[in-house]
Amino acid sequence: MNKIILYFLKKYISSPKKEWLRFDSIFMVVGIIVSVSTLTVALSIFEGYETVLKKTILGVNSHIYVFNSTNGNLQEKNVTEISGFLASRPEVDNSAAVIITQAMASNKSKVKGAIVRGIDWEQDKQPTSYRKFVFQGSYKMEKPDDAVLGYRIAKELGLNIGDSFKLVSSMNSKITPLGMKPKQQEFEVVGLYRSGMYEYDSKYVFLNIETLAEFCSLQDEYTMLEIKLNPEQIERADYLAYRWEQEFEHRYQFNSWIDFNGNLFSLLKVEKWVIFLILSFLILVASFNVVTSVSTSIIEKRKELGILKAFGATNKILQKIFIGKTLIIAVMAVSLGQILGVLIAEFLSWQTFFMLKGDVYFLDKINVEFSLISWVIIFFVSLFIVFFASVIPLKNIAKLEITDILRNS
Amino acid sequence: MSLLKIENLSKSYQEATGRLEVLRNVNLEVTTGDMIAITGESGSGKSTLLHLMGMLDKPDSGAIYYSNKKIEMKDRNISEFRNKTIGFVFQFHYLLEDFTAEENVAMPMFLASRNFKKSLQEAQKLLKALDIYERRDHYPNQLSGGEQQRVAVARALINSPEIIFADEPTGNLDAKHSDELIDLLLELNKQKKHTFVVVTHNLEIARKMHKTLVLENGVLRELK
Repeated sequence: MNKIILYFLKKYISSPKKEWLRFDSIFMVVGIIVSVSTLTVALSIFEGYETVLKKTILGVNSHIYVFNSTNGNLQEKNVTEISGFLASRPEVDNSAAVIITQAMASNKSKVKGAIVRGIDWEQDKQPTSYRKFVFQGSYKMEKPDDAVLGYRIAKELGLNIGDSFKLVSSMNSKITPLGMKPKQQEFEVVGLYRSGMYEYDSKYVFLNIETLAEFCSLQDEYTMLEIKLNPEQIERADYLAYRWEQEFEHRYQFNSWIDFNGNLFSLLKVEKWVIFLILSFLILVASFNVVTSVSTSIIEKRKELGILKAFGATNKILQKIFIGKTLIIAVMAVSLGQILGVLIAEFLSWQTFFMLKGDVYFLDKINVEFSLISWVIIFFVSLFIVFFASVIPLKNIAKLEITDILRNS
Repeated sequence: MSLLKIENLSKSYQEATGRLEVLRNVNLEVTTGDMIAITGESGSGKSTLLHLMGMLDKPDSGAIYYSNKKIEMKDRNISEFRNKTIGFVFQFHYLLEDFTAEENVAMPMFLASRNFKKSLQEAQKLLKALDIYERRDHYPNQLSGGEQQRVAVARALINSPEIIFADEPTGNLDAKHSDELIDLLLELNKQKKHTFVVVTHNLEIARKMHKTLVLENGVLRELK
């Protein structure tokens, strides 16, 4: 930077007059801090939400689901065939066949719809993070009537570890002389499951796969086969599902997590940048204070500007000094705004009195994340807007007539 | 050698009552080493003429030549030309309040050379020569009227300009400081051959110059 500009900026910072503590300067700084912190909070919440949702969905769910193309269940021989194929694929971490059905869970007078998952809990590597999410009791369903429940459904049914409840399924009804009799069976709660996903925590009931097969009257049949990919292959799930479906000549239907959730994440990405754009207008509004502050400063420094012009300072140099002064304040204000934004965001993620509606947003906790790229974008976009605003009144410097200033001072 | 030549310079201002003609076809030639006083009543246009000659304002018509080269306000390098060729001393010292005496003096040279150390060294030399070196670290509001005006003279001299315009330099000083300042200008003219054009309404001061011109009704004539 030009030595003259640096010299004037040094003088400006060290000046005993503390010009930057003027009312309009403070107003300008507060405006920038508030708008930048709002933008930082909004983006960090969006990023946090996106990351945690993705992590939770991918953690709770498997990455590829294999169904029978003919709408029926997978037979034991199908599972063996597919598992054999997957065993040779380096992209696959593990796989397991599961049974899924819908049922009503009831405890005394309380009734709640449930998704019942029959899993092989003894399998060391599971396609879904079942064991990790059992936070109370045990994940082991050693007895045939043992069950693990999502903590929300358990709460709604008033169940605790050791309590019994009934599963009633009309899908597995028996014909009796008195008409259709829904299948029902009593189970004991041995563990509570908490994934963070509202939908799962409020609906999932885990049973031993053999128990559920019997409950559903299934013999060597499975609803689907779940596949967990290696972490680096997760984003390729869509492609792999497509390729493998072709390998099996479409006898099986391979669906990836992207098929089920891809639109949600695309929407989140778009929404994040729409929010960024909308909240950038806050900075634009705050930059009106910059125009006012720079204009006031030019009027206040009119005499000095006239003298400097008379002694050979060009309009360009004087304008650069004003831009420099504004940018120093702006850099401080934007940085403070970002720091304040982080503190507010951290507070929001830490507090518990304001929670998201889990049934609407999947997650009930506000999660925040700060990515370097977003920080850099907020910093430079804010500075650009402030810079642009500071340039607007600078043309007034060129309009200052030295003789008018000398005569009127 | 002709340092400054003005030809048929005219300037008028639009007033509520009509157009006020301040200068009418004014002609003047200043040679190197001259010490010229321009006198006249208040409002006669002395300062206007000085501002036009100092390239601070543009005339309605007429031409200004420096070393036989026509100079105009619209010239691209007019700021640089003013910085290197012309020095100003105003009635109100017009020192920059946030800068010390030596920084004020160094400013025109710093603007030209961008070498702050060298500019400060030159400023200190001048402050010594003008006997105000001890006050170099003081801010303008910590200096007396006479000291302020000496600092302003030092500032006008720092780039060794070809000509120095002084607009009522003693207008704001008491008699003692006024005499001291005029003696200083005369001394600088005599010893360093600096060229001065001094605007004053004080005839006594004007008589001390080599030549006295009077501006009356927009016309400049020599006072014998």
